[in-house]
Amino acid sequence: MGEVIVITSGKGGVGKTTTSANIGTGLAAMGYKVVLVDTDIGLRNLDVVLGLENRIVYDIVDVTHGHCRLKQALIKDKRFEGLHLLPAAQTKDKTAVSPDQMRELCTELKKDFDYVIIDCPAGIEQGFKNAIAGADRALVVTTPEVSAVRDADRIIGLLEAAELRSPKLIVNRLRPRMVKSGDMMSIDDIIEILAIDLLGVIPEDEMIVITTNKGEPAVLDNKSRAGQAYRNMARRITGEDVPLMDLYADLGLVNRLKKFIGFK
Amino acid sequence: MLDFLLRVFGKDASSSKNVAKDRLRLVLVHDRADVSPQLLEDLKEDLIKVITNYMDIDERALEVNFDNSDNTVALVANIPVIKMKRNAKREEKIG
Amino acid sequence: MTNIRGAMVLKKNKGSKKGKKLFMKRENSFEVDNRFEFEESEIPAAVTKEVETKAAAAKPISKPVSVGNEPLQQAIADENTILIKRTVRSGQSIQFDGNVVVLGDVNPGSEIIASGNIVVMGALRGVVHAGATGNEDATVAAFKLQPTQLRIANHITRAPDGDYVAPEHPEIARIKDGVVVIELYQMGQDRQIKIG
Repeated sequence: MGEVIVITSGKGGVGKTTTSANIGTGLAAMGYKVVLVDTDIGLRNLDVVLGLENRIVYDIVDVTHGHCRLKQALIKDKRFEGLHLLPAAQTKDKTAVSPDQMRELCTELKKDFDYVIIDCPAGIEQGFKNAIAGADRALVVTTPEVSAVRDADRIIGLLEAAELRSPKLIVNRLRPRMVKSGDMMSIDDIIEILAIDLLGVIPEDEMIVITTNKGEPAVLDNKSRAGQAYRNMARRITGEDVPLMDLYADLGLVNRLKKFIGFK
Repeated sequence: MLDFLLRVFGKDASSSKNVAKDRLRLVLVHDRADVSPQLLEDLKEDLIKVITNYMDIDERALEVNFDNSDNTVALVANIPVIKMKRNAKREEKIG
Repeated sequence: MTNIRGAMVLKKNKGSKKGKKLFMKRENSFEVDNRFEFEESEIPAAVTKEVETKAAAAKPISKPVSVGNEPLQQAIADENTILIKRTVRSGQSIQFDGNVVVLGDVNPGSEIIASGNIVVMGALRGVVHAGATGNEDATVAAFKLQPTQLRIANHITRAPDGDYVAPEHPEIARIKDGVVVIELYQMGQDRQIKIG
């Protein structure tokens, strides 16, 4: 019996889809059977991030409406045997699926997969309600910006109201240099405000743009810092204890000196 | 120069991240309190009930609001008093 | 009317060596994914379900003007044809019992499902399904044929993984010997096949 994990954020553009693709791919690379479910009906994107956009025949709406069998709609990844995608429909809207149908779908997927990763749409309306309906646990993605943290707080409240206790936080697009200079909220600042456990931190990385262009998740790139962060996060999800990577390591002599002297 | 030094050592209280953090804190108090107009209305009625035991007030002019200036969130009530009830305490004891 | 203009443009490319080379390359590189090949009984319900038109701006033409003896145009004249005078954008779906002609582009994320032929006077980058009710003679033609996925009857093809050359000439997709092939669109060639 697998586990259903919903990746959500409230605010759009903070990296839910990129995070879903990378965590899913990371888990598959570790040998787990993973299915990524895109619930952003009408605005599907997970397929292009994974580079599987031209293989879609059926989608999640076809499955819930009984137009095809669940197995027919699952798209096999071209890189990993264990990785599958259930794409969202592009020509429908969020009301095409109900929370009950999602619960049923998740129960079905859990039988065959170790991890069911659900990419949630932005917002707190029907799409969000659908996405969290069948979830066992939740990951909240935010960036170190006032707007994103505020929305994350709202989402955490809604998740708790929906009995999804103790969601974990992912801080995306952190710029260590700006944090050092005091122009960006640090992880500690964000954790202090949101008061939830941290799953991982992804540093701002231009490689993400490049890998997304190519449709190859950054988690597969050994040189990418963001990729490393995603690999660590995938391992933490499976229960491994992986320390946070040192984002401030390469910030120059002055900072290292500062650390050495004891200024923080 | 001092500014520069403070900045270098990350102690600048007015750095933009601290501004962000403070603003967030205030906003979240509001968000989490989920202050609906209905709640304020109920609060007003309860306040009137209690206060009228002690004094006569102008109920129509009564104002209750959340104020979030000066880095804190405060419940501010503006209650115009018409007159004090001299025997308020005694009444209560008898009652 | 527009068909005439389209045909004239196409004629210029007739016999171009560059075009021929492109056709060979594209035919080889366009792979048929057998995984998607479904059995006769499994034609997607989404497709066989009652075809309806959702194109608000488009109006069906019952009897289009007959132009020359171009076979494709003849086929169009035989059935209901809908003319869509705009670009079909992501999220839009056009389903029609007959032929579909688009005067504009068909963008990625959109779909056109027709029981007959599909002609795109522009770039075709979305999902198209011609002959959706099982007609294997249906064709898909476009000025720039680079669909996300192209289906004819119960055959499904998709663009190859990795980089591929964007088509420089109008092309047509049809089923030949049970396989979907993409060819340079040539009027003469088309006539030969139909007559012979």
